[in-house]
Amino acid sequence: MARAAAVAQATPPTLWDPLVRISHWGIAFVVIANGVFTNGGSATHVWIGWVGMALLLMRLVWGVIGRREARFSAFPPNPVAAVRHLADLLTGRPRDYASHNPAGAMMVYALWASLALVIGTGLVMTGGISPMKLSEQEATLNEGDWSTLAPAGTEAENGEQGEGGGSWVKEVHSVAANLMLVLAVLHVAGVVVESRAMRRNLVAPMIAGSRNRPGS
Amino acid sequence: MKRTASLTLGQGHKPVALAVFLLIQSVAAVFFVGDATSDLMADAPGPHSGFELLVAVALMLGVVFGAYALRQTLLRMRVQDTALAAASGALAEVIGAQFTQWGLTPAERDVGLFALKGLDVAEIAELRGAAQGTVRAQLTHIYAKAGVSGRAQFAAVFVEDLLGGIVPFDPQRAAADRLLASAASSR
Repeated sequence: MARAAAVAQATPPTLWDPLVRISHWGIAFVVIANGVFTNGGSATHVWIGWVGMALLLMRLVWGVIGRREARFSAFPPNPVAAVRHLADLLTGRPRDYASHNPAGAMMVYALWASLALVIGTGLVMTGGISPMKLSEQEATLNEGDWSTLAPAGTEAENGEQGEGGGSWVKEVHSVAANLMLVLAVLHVAGVVVESRAMRRNLVAPMIAGSRNRPGS
Repeated sequence: MKRTASLTLGQGHKPVALAVFLLIQSVAAVFFVGDATSDLMADAPGPHSGFELLVAVALMLGVVFGAYALRQTLLRMRVQDTALAAASGALAEVIGAQFTQWGLTPAERDVGLFALKGLDVAEIAELRGAAQGTVRAQLTHIYAKAGVSGRAQFAAVFVEDLLGGIVPFDPQRAAADRLLASAASSR
């Protein structure tokens, strides 16, 4: 019984918990939508960015108080273990892990870090204005009232910086966003390679999951 | 087997709904806090701000408690899964031990297990690639060795084990029954 429990612990979940799954696909949607489709600076871009911020914050809270496999403690960042795992992947079948494998864990943290960077710089660029306010401003602009463009104080300065284009914040925002997209492609490639090497569908547990492990 | 799968799937809807609600709530919380903050940056804090602070705190507390509830639900589901697995494993052990005690042959053990799972003679014959007559004869042997009159009583032997502590019964009568049963099996 105890041995069976230990073995069950060492295998990755056959189904991630719903919060992990929904926030995963939500963030994927946000990254693709804002990285590829929406116009930077538009109200839509900011709305979606804020949704991404909420999803990321919730996921980080869940990383502390969530289910065992979803907690940070289940996949600590460990670059040495990550490299070892990749080497195992080249030479044969690596061992199983209870949560993300070490390489996958590093990818998770890299994605979160670049996402946080994109969101943070985005907030600085908009002066922390909520998307609702931005929509209101856009609406009044469309009505031909340009007075909202020049409110006194800090927002005007921020606006000038943003439109100047040379601002380092804007630079960091776009570099981090591109890094995010590159990481996302690498992430998908990693899932494909890992699924092949482990002969296990890694995508299913992130969608609806099969509770019955194949081969058991 | 199929029944267990659909049971877990049915339970699976509850945490999904909870998680969706939780994420919507956290989006609402972030948007509200953000909006209130930009209000504060634009104007000096007024009577409105106190109310906004209250709503913000309530939303964030809601998110935290929602997350806690989701975690508890997931935990409870896992415990139930484990208990179910343990119970079915234990029952399999009980059945195996009883079969051994009755001295069933390997073929009879298979047939007996299928019979307990509710398969009829034709289905068992098809699964085992045997003639229906053979299966019927094996079942008769099993019932004789177990000292029961038929399939219903045969299944009842194990159901009784499961219900043992729960069902109120007359101990004297049960003892008499057991005596009769043991007399029948020794004969």
